[in-house]
Amino acid sequence: MKIRNSIFILSVSLLAVVFVACKKKNQDKKEEEETTFDKTAMLSNYADNVIIPNFQSFKVSLDSFVISFNAFIQTKSPATLATLRQKYIAANVKFQHVSTFEFGPSESEIVRSNFNTYPTNTVQVNSNINSGSYNLGTISNLDAKGFPALDYLIFGKNETDASLITLFDTDPKAASRITYVNDCLTEMQNKTNAIVNAWNNSYRSSFTSSTGSQIGSSLGLMVNQLNFEIDLLKNGKIGIPLGKKSLGVVLPEKCESFYANNISVNLAKECLLNIEDVYLGRSAAGTDGKGLDDLLEDLNAQHGTESLNTAIKNQFTLAKSKLNLVAEPLSASVNNATSTVDAAYLEMVKLLVLLKTDTPSALGIVITYQDGDGD
Amino acid sequence: MVINHIRSYFLKPVHLAPLAIFRMAFGFLMLASVLRFIAKGWVYDMYIKPKLFFPYFGFEWVKPFGETGMYVLFIALAVAALFIALGFLYRISTIFFFLAFTYIELIDKTNYLNHYYFVSIISFLIIFLPAQRYFSIDVSLNKKTAATYAPNYFILILKFQVFIVYFFAGLAKLNSDWLFHAQPLKIWLPAHSEMPWIGSLLTKEWVAYVFSWFGCAYDLFIPFLLFIPRFIKPTYFLVIVFHLATSLFFNIGMFPYIMICLTTIFFTESFHIKIIQTIKKIFKRPLNDSQITFSPKPLPIKAFVYLLTLHFLIQLILPFRYLMYPGNLYWTEQGYRFSWRVMLMEKAGTAFFYVHDRTTNGEIEIDNKTYLTYMQEKMMATQPDMMIDYAKFLKAEYIKQGFKDPIIRAQSYVTLNGRGSREFIDPQVDLSIQSNSFFQNKNWVKKY
Repeated sequence: MKIRNSIFILSVSLLAVVFVACKKKNQDKKEEEETTFDKTAMLSNYADNVIIPNFQSFKVSLDSFVISFNAFIQTKSPATLATLRQKYIAANVKFQHVSTFEFGPSESEIVRSNFNTYPTNTVQVNSNINSGSYNLGTISNLDAKGFPALDYLIFGKNETDASLITLFDTDPKAASRITYVNDCLTEMQNKTNAIVNAWNNSYRSSFTSSTGSQIGSSLGLMVNQLNFEIDLLKNGKIGIPLGKKSLGVVLPEKCESFYANNISVNLAKECLLNIEDVYLGRSAAGTDGKGLDDLLEDLNAQHGTESLNTAIKNQFTLAKSKLNLVAEPLSASVNNATSTVDAAYLEMVKLLVLLKTDTPSALGIVITYQDGDGD
Repeated sequence: MVINHIRSYFLKPVHLAPLAIFRMAFGFLMLASVLRFIAKGWVYDMYIKPKLFFPYFGFEWVKPFGETGMYVLFIALAVAALFIALGFLYRISTIFFFLAFTYIELIDKTNYLNHYYFVSIISFLIIFLPAQRYFSIDVSLNKKTAATYAPNYFILILKFQVFIVYFFAGLAKLNSDWLFHAQPLKIWLPAHSEMPWIGSLLTKEWVAYVFSWFGCAYDLFIPFLLFIPRFIKPTYFLVIVFHLATSLFFNIGMFPYIMICLTTIFFTESFHIKIIQTIKKIFKRPLNDSQITFSPKPLPIKAFVYLLTLHFLIQLILPFRYLMYPGNLYWTEQGYRFSWRVMLMEKAGTAFFYVHDRTTNGEIEIDNKTYLTYMQEKMMATQPDMMIDYAKFLKAEYIKQGFKDPIIRAQSYVTLNGRGSREFIDPQVDLSIQSNSFFQNKNWVKKY
């Protein structure tokens, strides 16, 4: 009995000693080195300087795209058409800076699939316009709406400016075509407004207060979507047109915004830039705030002889420089400058590995919902 | 003299209350686990949704039963668990539970967990124990089978099994990454820096060392302490603290609770008798016990002894089979499973698979998401044997699509315990013609 009691007291006091020692040492340490990495500050930077402003400027350019379409319908001229096309490009560029954030409100609106499933299903688009009865909410219409459908309708397949204007003017289906474009735009506006509202109201605080690294935490969601986005960049924007999934047979018609013809490389560059922004916690204005790079430095994550952060930053620089060598239009480059595109692709693969394998591993982020191995 | 002592230690009649409590605890925990598994939708995620499964070497014939079949099997498993708890149709229930549970685990090694392996073993062992001869429905239906005492070895078997689990888990922690680099805890603990009270502590490096060393010492010494009846209270206190801590920091589901409940087998008879008396009082059952001692017939007991000797021999050998293979165990994972290596490494990878067509000499890159679930892709990317399975699947798939004798190769990068990703396997090797045999070293895995 005596021994039992003393063992019990011993183990309890041992735990207490360890605990007190921990606390004391912690206080000592606090004085000499900076305090723990402030994850709330990091998430606030993401919300206030990256995500919300990016969504707001996407909303502005989308609205102005809608206005330019109305102006075009009012006065169908080459000049209004040119403005409309400019506004399309501007909105699509801004979209590249929000596509990564497919969590919270964007996830409920399923933004990526609803706004940008390409290549365009032109047969579906035409059949919708011809029948005049369609439901844009169905899965079969995912590749017949959003930017890809608008790309096709506004830039046209081998149309001159004049013949394209005719399609919205004297063509028998002109009215139906105008309605279709309006329906596509309205859907995008509604979803965008819902997202902006959610971020401006309750979602911001739930995002910034979820500071853990567990399933569904803000950090987990963001890193996951960052990985998803670079996958889309590597595969959808570059790899598939380059023939990576088709035995090396290039597929130029699978380029993003194929009908606008000279913006696919630019969209890829913007997407890569946004991925870098998200990694660095950098605002659209270029201010580098607290981000994943700082967190990785704080955790002292390594990659070979250098820090993981340095390795990632260098890889961003390399990937950007290789992508810069690719000329517009991408649909031509995949044919006549295959090795240049391939070089950019390879650097993106390396970047993907660092972001998808090393980063979550170093952050201890739990991505799966299933139980891990027990102790 | 000594032999006699050991003999009498093994054979002395002991009360069956601890075994009855163990039976009930195991049954109810399994019932809860199976229901939780169904409720979380994992039956669908793991056994219905996947397009391919990763079978174990030698168990390629084990296949899922389809949607209805799998749900029926899981519900039957829940019923069997309840029956085990109640001690109803005990022998049939335990045999069924063991076979069904093990069958499910053998379907896909993606889902391998040491604690599922533990459940398989326990459910196997209890088939042979007289856990239903005391305080069960079976004995109230057939009083002739009732007993209050049984030879001590029936309980010792379970204790030895728990001993093996802890001790080998402790041995596995005796490696330089765990002890001298505090990996992977140095990665896993700071991820919880937002926790109230202790959050900021978890980011400190020395805390990871304290946890690593404490965890290692715990696993190595707790199995010995558990055998000392005098120390059982403080020992059990440590068990609770340790397992609750792991459940707080890691995503490991039911396992901590299973260990907390099942280690009560080490408590004294009187503790278990008291619990059963309390339950009896609640249900207004007669309190008095018979004085019958269960004594097994000589022939089955002889077979049982051989079987158990074999079982424990295998238990002692399996964790060391990794010595057959060259290279770093954590990197190649040859001989990693079934060895109580738990929470030992932070490993992640990305694998790009390529199908090369010999006719056109063209190559396509596979989008793994087309064929694999998220979990399968994650596991496959770091485990060479799963890469072979996947390559063989892709080969069959693309032959169907008209490829002529395709070559399947993969480029993969793996990071282990925070060391930064590096190339994992030889990217030129045709994985579809590699062997998954235990007896063949996978020499195409790059050196660590």
